[in-house]
Amino acid sequence: MSLSWNKIWALAKKEIGYYFASPVGYLVLAAFFFVTGLFFALIVLGSRAASMVPVFQNTVILLLFLTPGITMRLWSEEEKSGTAELLRTSPLTLWEIVLGKYLGVCVFFAVMLSATLVYLLVIVLNGNPDWGPLFANYLGYVLVSLSFFALGLFVSTLSDNQMVSMVLTWVLLLVLWIVGATGNLMTGPVGDFLKSLSIYDQTDDFFKGVIDLTHVLYFLSLIFIGLFFSVKVLESKRS
Amino acid sequence: MIEVKDLVRTYGPFTAVDKISFSVPKGTILGLLGPNGAGKTTSMRVLTTSLPPSAGKVTVAGYDVTDQAQEVRRHIGYLPEIPPIYHDMTLISYLKFVADIREIPQDKKADRIGEVLEMIDLTDVSKRLIGHLSLGYRQRVGLAQALLHDPEVLILDEPTRGLDPKQILEIRKLIKSLSGRKTIILSTHILPEVSSTCDNVVIIDRGKVVAADSVENLSQRLTGGKTLEVQVKGPGAEVERALAKCEGVSAVRPLGKESKGASRFELSTDGSDETREAIFQCVVKNKWALYQLSPVGMSLEEVFVKLTTKEGAS
Repeated sequence: MSLSWNKIWALAKKEIGYYFASPVGYLVLAAFFFVTGLFFALIVLGSRAASMVPVFQNTVILLLFLTPGITMRLWSEEEKSGTAELLRTSPLTLWEIVLGKYLGVCVFFAVMLSATLVYLLVIVLNGNPDWGPLFANYLGYVLVSLSFFALGLFVSTLSDNQMVSMVLTWVLLLVLWIVGATGNLMTGPVGDFLKSLSIYDQTDDFFKGVIDLTHVLYFLSLIFIGLFFSVKVLESKRS
Repeated sequence: MIEVKDLVRTYGPFTAVDKISFSVPKGTILGLLGPNGAGKTTSMRVLTTSLPPSAGKVTVAGYDVTDQAQEVRRHIGYLPEIPPIYHDMTLISYLKFVADIREIPQDKKADRIGEVLEMIDLTDVSKRLIGHLSLGYRQRVGLAQALLHDPEVLILDEPTRGLDPKQILEIRKLIKSLSGRKTIILSTHILPEVSSTCDNVVIIDRGKVVAADSVENLSQRLTGGKTLEVQVKGPGAEVERALAKCEGVSAVRPLGKESKGASRFELSTDGSDETREAIFQCVVKNKWALYQLSPVGMSLEEVFVKLTTKEGAS
């Protein structure tokens, strides 16, 4: 299978263009800037600690709520407006379609995340941050977000109704988030297994400043699963 | 160029297309005609690789739609039932996007977009959001998208839908002008569209082909071009008898009386010029007056209704 970068980028550009041409994109950006800014101001400036951990730890839950808004339309909208027909009958592979859309969301997320660079700058100018843990914090935050988006993209391929996609994405992410809490209530291998599935438990180490390869692999697997099943669902629509 | 052989497409227990076969020679325009729900769109979706066939063999530009779908996609332009447009994009950025996914080389992109905008008369609105354009414009944007990569085969699902009469004529002219260079299938349930643009016609009804022929042959085959309508001023019964005796007339059917003592008849004849002369002479000889003598051509409309209702009755 060969992938054409040109076509993937064309699709990505289309998605990016959408986010900056629609109220949804700006609402998401505004919500993200406001909440992260608030936490940064209240906690970091209050505690005088040169760390981004409180910002990340407290806003990762915000991503859980913003993700469905970002990803719900990715495929649902194409199906609804009839443009899926254009993509299906163009010389595009399904991986090109899925990767193009995913890349578009990733670029949009990069814009979101750029706001945190301002906070970083404040920390660097006024304190002496520990770069190692800071990198781990960022890595964890990015991996969680990218996993959310991949799963959201997958859910979007399931329905041509954006609202259905949005609610289903919420449910899926919430389940993956709280499954660890149920694991805590149980003992033995079942509890451990449930905890290992939980996004919440997997992010913990990153925010302690530790990069554990198993956690990295956990998130990379989530991303791959999301993208892989998106391709599979699109494939099944052609039969 | 396009070969469809025993194509079957089912949706669960419902058979949308049932063993249809037809072929489109290179450079010709085929009209796919049928009432709503006859299976036109399903057939087109199979031809464009959007939907795999349940059974049968379909090749487009020499490539199989199931095994070589990607190659088929490179050779077709497709205007689906609903124009595949992004409402939040400007026309120009939309066409750039289509050019990219349709593999138009970067250096030819701008020229080609300019050409197509010119051809479909969209240059004026190229900077506007597609969502702000009228229905007729959106349909033309859909057509621009299908033509952009200059494909050998064009598959157009109701290309003139939503257009006003002037635009319909322009688009038909455009399609007609592409004949010879491109192989085209267009679907419609508007009959004049077929007679004015297509070389051949395939009529489908409830998933089956009920007729396939050239446009002229089809209407001729059903009427034979041998039915004449005659209006004569004279005593009705006597005229009827005299006409029946004319050379080449096999049957006379009175159609009723007109004012001023004229009567109308429908004559079945052998279709020759001599017969028409004989009828004229017969009327003159009896000192009646001939008001009208004209062939009754069955319009495509009548052919269509006849074919599709015949099927329904069986």
